[in-house]
Amino acid sequence: MTRKAEKAIIIENLTKNFEVSLKGEGLIGGISALIAPKKKRVSAVKSISFTINEGELVGFIGPNGAGKTTTLKILSGLLYPTFGFVQVVGYTPWDRKPDFLKNISLVMGQKNQLWWDLPAVDSFELNKEIYQISDDVYSKTLNELLSLLDVQSLVNVQVRRLSLGQRMRLELVAALLHQPQILFLDEPTLGLDVVAQQKLRDFIYEYNRKRNATILLTSHNMDDVADLTKRVIVIDKGEILFDGQITELVGQFAKEKIIKVYLSKETDFKKFEKIGKVKRIDYPQVTLSVARGTSASAAAEILQNFPIADLTIDEEPIEEIIRRVFDGEMLANKLKKRKVKKRS
Amino acid sequence: MNSAGYLSVFKISFKQEFAYRLNFIMWRVRNVIQIFVVFYLWETVFTASGMTLFGYDKPKILTYVFGLIIVRAFVLSARAVDVAGEIARGDLNNYLVKPIDYFKYWLTRDLASKALNLFFAFFETLFLLYILKPPFFIQTNPVLISAFLVSLVFAMLNFFCSLFIVSAVPFWTPEAAWGAQFLFSAILVEFLSGALFPLDVLPIILQRILSFLPFQYLIYFPIQVYLGKVQGQEVIKGILVSGMWVLILYSLMKIVWRRGLKSYDAYGR
Repeated sequence: MTRKAEKAIIIENLTKNFEVSLKGEGLIGGISALIAPKKKRVSAVKSISFTINEGELVGFIGPNGAGKTTTLKILSGLLYPTFGFVQVVGYTPWDRKPDFLKNISLVMGQKNQLWWDLPAVDSFELNKEIYQISDDVYSKTLNELLSLLDVQSLVNVQVRRLSLGQRMRLELVAALLHQPQILFLDEPTLGLDVVAQQKLRDFIYEYNRKRNATILLTSHNMDDVADLTKRVIVIDKGEILFDGQITELVGQFAKEKIIKVYLSKETDFKKFEKIGKVKRIDYPQVTLSVARGTSASAAAEILQNFPIADLTIDEEPIEEIIRRVFDGEMLANKLKKRKVKKRS
Repeated sequence: MNSAGYLSVFKISFKQEFAYRLNFIMWRVRNVIQIFVVFYLWETVFTASGMTLFGYDKPKILTYVFGLIIVRAFVLSARAVDVAGEIARGDLNNYLVKPIDYFKYWLTRDLASKALNLFFAFFETLFLLYILKPPFFIQTNPVLISAFLVSLVFAMLNFFCSLFIVSAVPFWTPEAAWGAQFLFSAILVEFLSGALFPLDVLPIILQRILSFLPFQYLIYFPIQVYLGKVQGQEVIKGILVSGMWVLILYSLMKIVWRRGLKSYDAYGR
């Protein structure tokens, strides 16, 4: 039997509205909210559609309050949608069928499932029973996860005594013991130090590759996205603004090149501002960004007018571009224009 | 999840209780002192007057008070008081994404907690009996003892289902978690269950009305059965009414939770 790429996740015209009760400030506001509650409807997600193939690792990015977490919560069956069609490995998530739940896992950076007062191994054993994992599979998976995440020595320590980074890694073990085919990761590296972040990233990459697991990842950490994912979905104010390869995103939005020069002696730094946007002066190094098309002439001008020891021209780093996406800088104007053009 | 799973929940609940050893011990000590206080209070009252009040002589009122504390600890002490908070804080998310029945999960945790408490209560009672040598009323009729145990199980289930219904309030108004629980447990349960006084001191008409409501079956009725103050048909009628309430409250809970989960906002970021 040949296996073609199957759709692991299908979302069509998904909309989710929340009723939010409004409260005025102070005591009077509180009382008036009690007597005549004012409700406001907030659209967290507005008619979005996308599909994800089995085994894909997709980054889901956008600024705060864009609707990322809401979408993940709907996909994992926590929330009922207001409108739309959602299917995850053939199931409707919010039916919460046991067979569906055994196939997924949701990891939220700031939600913990480990029992705070007990060593993590107790929580693992509980999960073993909840997911009905056989003894062999359990000990094999557990050992594998523990060594991959380098936390063997921590399983018998009371969870409250662990550092955040140690705990997050054990959280991940608890979330993956049942070897879910679908993994929803919401800010998995939140609050971790650089080393722990890298460990977690390596692990996510391995998990995706080894088990052909489908992973949807949201993160505010540019490195997470740039490192791990090939495809990104950009969402802002509940609407999808971009869905495609990360290289395409870069190609579309890298409007600038970075010129780095090393000066041979001190000079009037103000003159650099006429050539491009000065990003950083750290004598003898000066970094400036110029429009893509003008990079060659700008470099020539610099070589002519300044005492230069060395000069390089680089692409804008991916992280930088994604950061601008997060900031919502280009979202409003450029992407929408493109969308409108497509439609007409 | 299968029964092995719930056994595992039972075990981890035990471990959790022991994680707060000192808390647990202090709480047990508090229970013992409480019994001392109440015992001497009532003993003084009855020694002074040396009479019968509302059909209670000294051994029976002392047994009522003693029974009250034990039945109360068994029926009204529920780990599931945390449920409202879990909904309001969004911790419910952890369970909803797992193949686990949240209701059965908490019922199991409750049973674990009750089993542990009952175990300690047994030895404490022996200790108190030895020290106080109270003139206790010991029920010897096996039929009444079985009826007492059945009514106790129904009482526990009734309280548990009611608690789950009340705990569902934060699905709609997350801030009201505490208020709803207070109204339910402090006002309705304390007053109408017989946890403060034997209900037969109330006017007959009020007693009639209460006999159709679930509250008196939580505490008052099981103790009355033990004391032999209700007998024959009355016992059967009481157990039937109580059992009926278990069915009603269970169905109601299912409906409330189904609707609650639909408007659940899954808070927490």
